[in-house]
Amino acid sequence: MVAPTEKPSDKSTTSEAKPEPTQQKSTAALEEDDEFEDFPVEDWPAEETESAAQAASGDGTTQHLWEESWDDDDTSDDFSAQLREELKKVEASKRR
Amino acid sequence: MDGLIRQFRVAYAATNGEQLAETLSPDVQTHSAKLRAIWGRGDLRSTTADLNFLFHQDQARLSIRLSKEETSGWYAIYTAYWKAIGEILAAEGLRHDAQSSWAKVYDAWKDLTLLTVRGYTNHEFENWTIPCLYVTGRYLRLYAMRADAERALNNDNTAVDELQDDFDPQAEENKCLEDCARHLNRIFQICASDRAPLEESRKWGVYYAVNLLFKTYFKLNSESLSKNVLRVISAGRSDIPPIDKFPKSQQTTFKYYEGVLAFLEENYVEAEKHLEMAWLMCHKNAQRNLELILTYLIPCRLLTTHTLPSAQLLGPFPRLQKLFMPLAHAIKKSDLRAFDIALRDGEDEFIKRRVYLTLERGRDIVLRNLLRKVFIAGGFEPAKDGAAPVRRTRIPITEFTAAVQISSGEAIDSDEVECLMANMIYKNLMKGYIAHERGTVVLSKSGAFPGTKQDRRRYTYVIVISRAINITTSLSGSLAEVLVPNDYKKYDGWCMGGISHG
Repeated sequence: MVAPTEKPSDKSTTSEAKPEPTQQKSTAALEEDDEFEDFPVEDWPAEETESAAQAASGDGTTQHLWEESWDDDDTSDDFSAQLREELKKVEASKRR
Repeated sequence: MDGLIRQFRVAYAATNGEQLAETLSPDVQTHSAKLRAIWGRGDLRSTTADLNFLFHQDQARLSIRLSKEETSGWYAIYTAYWKAIGEILAAEGLRHDAQSSWAKVYDAWKDLTLLTVRGYTNHEFENWTIPCLYVTGRYLRLYAMRADAERALNNDNTAVDELQDDFDPQAEENKCLEDCARHLNRIFQICASDRAPLEESRKWGVYYAVNLLFKTYFKLNSESLSKNVLRVISAGRSDIPPIDKFPKSQQTTFKYYEGVLAFLEENYVEAEKHLEMAWLMCHKNAQRNLELILTYLIPCRLLTTHTLPSAQLLGPFPRLQKLFMPLAHAIKKSDLRAFDIALRDGEDEFIKRRVYLTLERGRDIVLRNLLRKVFIAGGFEPAKDGAAPVRRTRIPITEFTAAVQISSGEAIDSDEVECLMANMIYKNLMKGYIAHERGTVVLSKSGAFPGTKQDRRRYTYVIVISRAINITTSLSGSLAEVLVPNDYKKYDGWCMGGISHG
């Protein structure tokens, strides 16, 4: 994706300002937007779906593609130590 | 013209709608030579004469059975098609004798579209020919967008000096597309309102038309109109065949838009359902579409199930990696500061994709993960004799305050933390209550952080055991030793004290 600040109209400005042959580019830029694209074919068998592709790469499900949002490996002694350290600071600031 | 009409006859004889629609394709990239041949010398009179001959005199015309009505319908369509081709070739710079504009192309193609629609209302066209409606509708939208872009460009160049009073830039900007939406809606109506028995009904064109409408309305930023369409077809009063009877391209596109619409209404459970369906059904090679689906499915999942995309899922999509990986990382590490930075860095893109507000709510998940870390670091209560150890569930607010300070890198007031925690409890991201006078949070013993399987498993186990065995207190248990902080005794004292919870 191009820099988010660049609007589609800007793109067509630059490309359409040039002579004719570049005109195709400008229309391509227009369609390049975040629009759902037309599929090249109307229909396809189940084997060609993303679901089948993912199942083939995993253990027959799509479970492996999503993971839990927390990291239990990280809840180590490190954090407890860090927490105790910070806690001292909090308590200290309270006493003041 | 000869070749074109011969192609028409072949498709018609085979009742092949796709093939028939192909005769109306204006695609210059793939059919440049063919379109030039159709345009010929660009002489209207000889073209009319040709068409007259082909539709009214040519013996070969009898190879297919066209009613008088149908004949006049198709005759008009191919005349309009020929005119449109002339404009298209000129606009693409492929004619030396003339120049044109996309505005003119749009008008010419609109005439063709109207005539095609009329074929169904006035000229007895059968339902298998509806791909002709698709092709006219699809290109009408394309030309409308090009015409609008072209006008915007010209306006820029001629720098508007006089400012009019009631000038609506938005409406002006999309003038052709707005007009196009009306014609597409007409196509939708003549498909949806067909009363013929299902096997010969134009209802089979409904989803194609709806998808075109969705694309158009999204571009015009009028999602509410999309909702109206959705209401018409979901009401069931139109007897539209179930969606799984339609080609996968139409199902996928429809489910994507239905999902995004629910997403924009913050109905994430519904959105997830539709988007996941779109994702699973999408063609595996349609990278761009898969990417678009995931752009919304990922924020959905974050809120509904608190799950994140794995590196494997994002592997093929560098753009999504750039968008979501820093956030996902921050969430996993329960790092508030990193989360805020990631959100700020991606802000422009997130806003453009309209996922910013949804992702912003992800901060709750970071916080929840952080609070859970405090809970886990809190270790275990002195275990009852022989019973499995129970996690410490009464935790001083100061511990949470300290954790938030570590994570956000900023000093924070403990009242503010209390407020954050109250929110967590309200949102059901954490179970328990705040004992304000004691400066303590009392967490639920059964799954203080809903959704974490590990806790759930451990707790069910603990509850069963502790109910079965009678209680005496002593300190033991190997599990406890792993996680209990050295100063647990400090809290132990009041844990024995009086707060009860049920």
